Amino acid sequence: MALLDIKNLTLEIDTEAGWIKALDKANLMVKENEIQALVGESGSGKSLIVRAISGGLPQQMRITADRLTWRGKNLLAMNGEERREIMRRDIAVVFQDPIGTLDPTVSLGEQLEESVPYEFVGSGWFWQKRAVRRKIAIQLLHKVGIKDHVATMRAYPHQITTDIGQKFMIAMALVSQPALLIADDPTRGMEATTKTQILKLFKRLNQTKGLSILFVGHDLLAISSMADSMTVLYCGQTVESGPIQKLQKRPLHPYTKALMESAPSFRVDLAPKSPLVTLPGTIPTLQHLPIGCRLGPRCERAQKTCVQAPEIRKIHDHQYSCHFPLHSKAK
Amino acid sequence: MIKILLRYTNLLVLTLLVVVIFSFALAYLFPGEPYTNLTGVIDEQAAAAHQNLSVTSAFWQYLGNIFAGDWGLSLMTGQSLADEIAITLPATLELSLYALAFALLVGLPIGFWAGLKPHKGIDYSVLGASAVMHSFPVFWLAMLLVLIFSLQFGWLPMSGRLNLLMDVPNVSGFIFVDIFLADNIDRSQAAWDAVKHLALPTFCVSIITMATIIRAVRRSTLEVMHKPFIIAAQSRGLSNAQIFFKHGFRNALLPILPILAMQVTTIITNVMIVESIFSWPGIGNWLLQAIYQQDYPAIRAGMLAVAGAVIVVTILIELFNRIIDPSREKFEDVTF
Ligand SMILES: Nc1ncnc2c1ncn2[C@@H]1O[C@H](COP(=O)(O)OP(=O)(O)OP(=O)(O)O)[C@@H](O)[C@H]1O
Ligand code: SF4
Ligand SMILES: [Mg+2]
Repeated sequence: MALLDIKNLTLEIDTEAGWIKALDKANLMVKENEIQALVGESGSGKSLIVRAISGGLPQQMRITADRLTWRGKNLLAMNGEERREIMRRDIAVVFQDPIGTLDPTVSLGEQLEESVPYEFVGSGWFWQKRAVRRKIAIQLLHKVGIKDHVATMRAYPHQITTDIGQKFMIAMALVSQPALLIADDPTRGMEATTKTQILKLFKRLNQTKGLSILFVGHDLLAISSMADSMTVLYCGQTVESGPIQKLQKRPLHPYTKALMESAPSFRVDLAPKSPLVTLPGTIPTLQHLPIGCRLGPRCERAQKTCVQAPEIRKIHDHQYSCHFPLHSKAK
Repeated sequence: MIKILLRYTNLLVLTLLVVVIFSFALAYLFPGEPYTNLTGVIDEQAAAAHQNLSVTSAFWQYLGNIFAGDWGLSLMTGQSLADEIAITLPATLELSLYALAFALLVGLPIGFWAGLKPHKGIDYSVLGASAVMHSFPVFWLAMLLVLIFSLQFGWLPMSGRLNLLMDVPNVSGFIFVDIFLADNIDRSQAAWDAVKHLALPTFCVSIITMATIIRAVRRSTLEVMHKPFIIAAQSRGLSNAQIFFKHGFRNALLPILPILAMQVTTIITNVMIVESIFSWPGIGNWLLQAIYQQDYPAIRAGMLAVAGAVIVVTILIELFNRIIDPSREKFEDVTF
């Protein structure tokens, strides 16, 4: 059974121009034990999906979904208490801006120790519990590759560098030993060696602990090296999803193809010195979204029917939303 | 830590020095002999001798006197000004302190409450009420309250700090401390009497500050509760109460403290106004008398005392704010 199953998730934002659909019928599924990648250009709504899953949306956002379930349980229908319990124990989120997601007035050590679930601490006097919390915290810091745990635990959020912050947030997320880790751009701007270290850690946790991961990012090369499957988002619409090899070898959606071609190192069969292919135009702003398939104005295969949003079509576990997919005879 | 303390001590000393220089200059700007204005003594020979002194050596002499506790004599009463101030200033500070405490006690919870439930009925009524509170002229409010509670119903006394029949010796100048130290009286009865005398003036002074605090707290709570770290805490499954008390509360308070430091001036000013209505034996009342009587040494010394008190309290609040807000050092590293 799927761990996390999202079907037709629509998220609207209240702006001066009225309610705008920042996510339009997005679909996403994370299965047990898999690494799922969520990719898309900047501004395509990846972080919004993460926000929608983690809950606590501000007043100017509202969501509707046909399905938003965790292990078959409807997240939207449950009360605050049940939802919090799932977020506390089963799902952990690493948000995009690591330093901003830390309380500026509390030292890192305290914040990490505070998030150790009480189940792990056991019983005893408060100093014994404190020592246990501390031990767990230090182990975690070492695990994510922070060697100088003394200085890090003593520091305040504004005193650390971004990559320490990123690693620290991963430690914070892993502390509850979740079933699903949602990591929003966890390796952004990292040095190559640090990045491989983190990716290896993810892969290892996935293989040894059965941790499922929703990896949000742009870095197709990193994603192809570790993810099992991939979901491509464009302008708040999920355009294609499926096992990563299938998408890589035979993308069906024009956008997926363009995305792959824009990352040459990702392509297996690229002739040397062939020109880089890019889509014409730029990603539209939320205020000027085209109707129907949002890729329409930039798509060379677009035809009249594209002003109607395409339904999801499936070929086994490979899904796409396009009226005129690649590798099919144009009508 | 030591660096911080040094920096604030430095700030305190320099600011106080400026105030002393100003008070010294006043003696020359006021009509009459500077010597008389500085000491309160009318003595032609000494005044002539003082005039021969250079301004700098006169200032050093003055500074020395100030530190020695010799602030001069009052022209009006001939009493030592330092002694008179030691009696009146605590009465003023006491009233200010209670007004501030009361404003915080009521203002903080209401502000948090409104900030946690923004744009709802509660929030709007709180905002409306605080706007009304903020626009009361303090002397008008004081007279209105006297009219209602003292003259109409006779529930509360309208003047003074304590019933004159109670004989509480003045030791510290703070009424409750003095009541506690006095031994031949019924302490609880005296304390209750003091509370009744305090009620109206404290309420009047605190009302404006309370309105300011409510608005500031509401605003900063609103802001903080939308910060990414609050969202992250929610995603970790903390309950709303846990989030507020562990992460929201402290961060929402930080921007309040500087506002509080500025309110100290407002409160002391309002206390000095209210004092004359309630015949509160504080320094405001005393200064007013000094002004009526053109008692220049008293005006000079009174201003020095009030300004000094305001500066000390303000800097202490600033220091406290600096100590509990670790992220402030980020800005200081740039300037140092
Ligand atoms: N609070 C908000 N109010 C209004 N618009 C918002 C808000 N949050 C996000 N958006 C808009 O929603 C769109 C999607 O934003 P999102 O942050 O999800 O993009 P992203 O895919 O995560 O991009 P990146 O790769 O840069 O992180 C953007 O156009 C953004 O401007
Ligand atoms: S639906 Fe039409 S516009 Fe959209 S990607 Fe397919 S062909 Fe292009
Ligand atoms: Mg993002």
